[in-house]
Amino acid sequence: MTTARRQGDGRKRRAGLAAFLVMSLGAAVMVYPYAYMVGASLKTRREFAADRHSLVPPRFQIDQRLKHARGEPSALDWPGADWPVLKNYTDAIVYGQVDVFLFNSLLYAVVITAVQLAINTLAAYAFARMSFRGRGVLFSLLLATMMLPPAVLLVPQFLVVSGLGLVDSFMGVVLPGFAGAFGVFLLRQFFLNIPRSLEEAGRLDGCSSLGVLWHIVLPLSRPVLVTLGLFTFMGAWNSFVWPLVVLSDQAYYPLTVGLSLFREESGADWPRIFAGAVMGSMPLILLFLLAQRYLVRGISLSGLKGQ
Amino acid sequence: MARGIGKERRQPVAYLYIAPALAVVLLFSFVSMGISFYVSLHQWDPFQGKGQFVGGANYARALTEPNSIFWLAVRNTLLYVVMAIIGVLGTSLPLALLCRRARYGQSLFRTLYFLPSITPMVVISLIWIWLLQRMGAIMDRSQTALLSIALVGIWQASGYNMLLFLAGLNEIPQEYYEAARVDGASRLQEFRHVTLPLLRNTLVFVTVMVIIGASQVFTQAYVMTRGGPQRSTEVMALQVFKNAFSYAGQMGYASAMAWLLFALLFVFILIQMRVFRSRRIYDESS
Repeated sequence: MTTARRQGDGRKRRAGLAAFLVMSLGAAVMVYPYAYMVGASLKTRREFAADRHSLVPPRFQIDQRLKHARGEPSALDWPGADWPVLKNYTDAIVYGQVDVFLFNSLLYAVVITAVQLAINTLAAYAFARMSFRGRGVLFSLLLATMMLPPAVLLVPQFLVVSGLGLVDSFMGVVLPGFAGAFGVFLLRQFFLNIPRSLEEAGRLDGCSSLGVLWHIVLPLSRPVLVTLGLFTFMGAWNSFVWPLVVLSDQAYYPLTVGLSLFREESGADWPRIFAGAVMGSMPLILLFLLAQRYLVRGISLSGLKGQ
Repeated sequence: MARGIGKERRQPVAYLYIAPALAVVLLFSFVSMGISFYVSLHQWDPFQGKGQFVGGANYARALTEPNSIFWLAVRNTLLYVVMAIIGVLGTSLPLALLCRRARYGQSLFRTLYFLPSITPMVVISLIWIWLLQRMGAIMDRSQTALLSIALVGIWQASGYNMLLFLAGLNEIPQEYYEAARVDGASRLQEFRHVTLPLLRNTLVFVTVMVIIGASQVFTQAYVMTRGGPQRSTEVMALQVFKNAFSYAGQMGYASAMAWLLFALLFVFILIQMRVFRSRRIYDESS
């Protein structure tokens, strides 16, 4: 009996180890492109032209260093080898306006997130707790909009924004982003689960409905607000197609559009593009690592996947 | 939904609460769609904001034009969707099963596999332009270009869908497995008769989401191949985009195409609505 169990345990352990190894291999496939991006962002133009595939820039490779120490020709003699390590990053900012693009991305994402949280909370609270004619119909209508695919909506939304005279403006970028039926839905579900007795207590203390929402419901809803806020922020930060079609003035470009623009330039400076790409993807990765528990909760709730 | 509605006093102030969200959402969904339908019946000049009525000519042009790029785009998109389904399901489900068995590092794996979901698709496309070159010129040949952008899409989506499968697997009560073990079921039988049937909802959900997501593929095709070589990566969303914003005076045609895309996706959207309704997706937030 015990031997059998021990055998079973041994088999289980081996299976667990095999699964771990396969998962590690998969993880390498997931991480490799990031390592490649960071490595490429540290190469000089000459190095990228000579060695596109290595993760470590030639001038930092051990054999090149040894050659150099022996006085042989090496990557350390190539032009640019003595420049500051982060030169591509500073160049991306100085010559590539990456700081402007980053600022724009941040501004759009913050404004969209703040407005969505505010208007979605109000609507969700009304749908959860207030009684009014047409509540069911309006809510169904709202839900139905979630099923419209973004690619189908691109041209229609452009026609509206252009009709409003907002093409190539800040408002033109953010206004469609304020629409968030999913947020209303998610918050409403959460509000429905808050015990009514708490709100009634607030009402007896003389709070208005807005007061109850602010002082009682919102503090209890912090987790769901953070989850929704993070997803909205990430969606807005990563959005590409909409700002691409609505903007033509580079000064308004978010980072995603700015990067795609660099790609079009003839003789594109790829190490510098990758420096911009690192700066554009790091903020979300950091945010993700800091707020992981809120996000993991949100994943299974969402049909929010971007394109 | 109608909980206690009869007893409650009606509160007209509620309209003020819902007005901003409802106005923006409806404006950028049904109202927009309505306007684009109107535009699709015209030869539209975006600079004048008006056009000449042409009836169904834009639709007819897309559907019946000889050597129509529209049908080519439909075909390419369909191929892409098939590759995406095979690729995403073929990686994310096995990965989810493995992740649960892995002896160490389960939470680290979840984190790492999620990274592509929070990286801009533009950045991913820029990186893969170079990584794909290592695999030979698969991006530059018309036979394999579509596959190469599908690989990128699959790489991006598999981790996210793995997490969806993990969530689905976690909902399966452990007793079922114990019962199967008592009955002497092998691992394979366990998967076939316990895991798969109980994972059905997640499987349908993921498949439908992948179909809907993949049929809108745009960014890789735009950044990596621009629809080429020889139109081999010319997909629906890219065609709509090019006609609306790159070619002059084709806004009516582009609107018609957007509507046709909607019509093609409609069946899946209906399935999605059913799945969405049946899924108790809000339980976890409490």
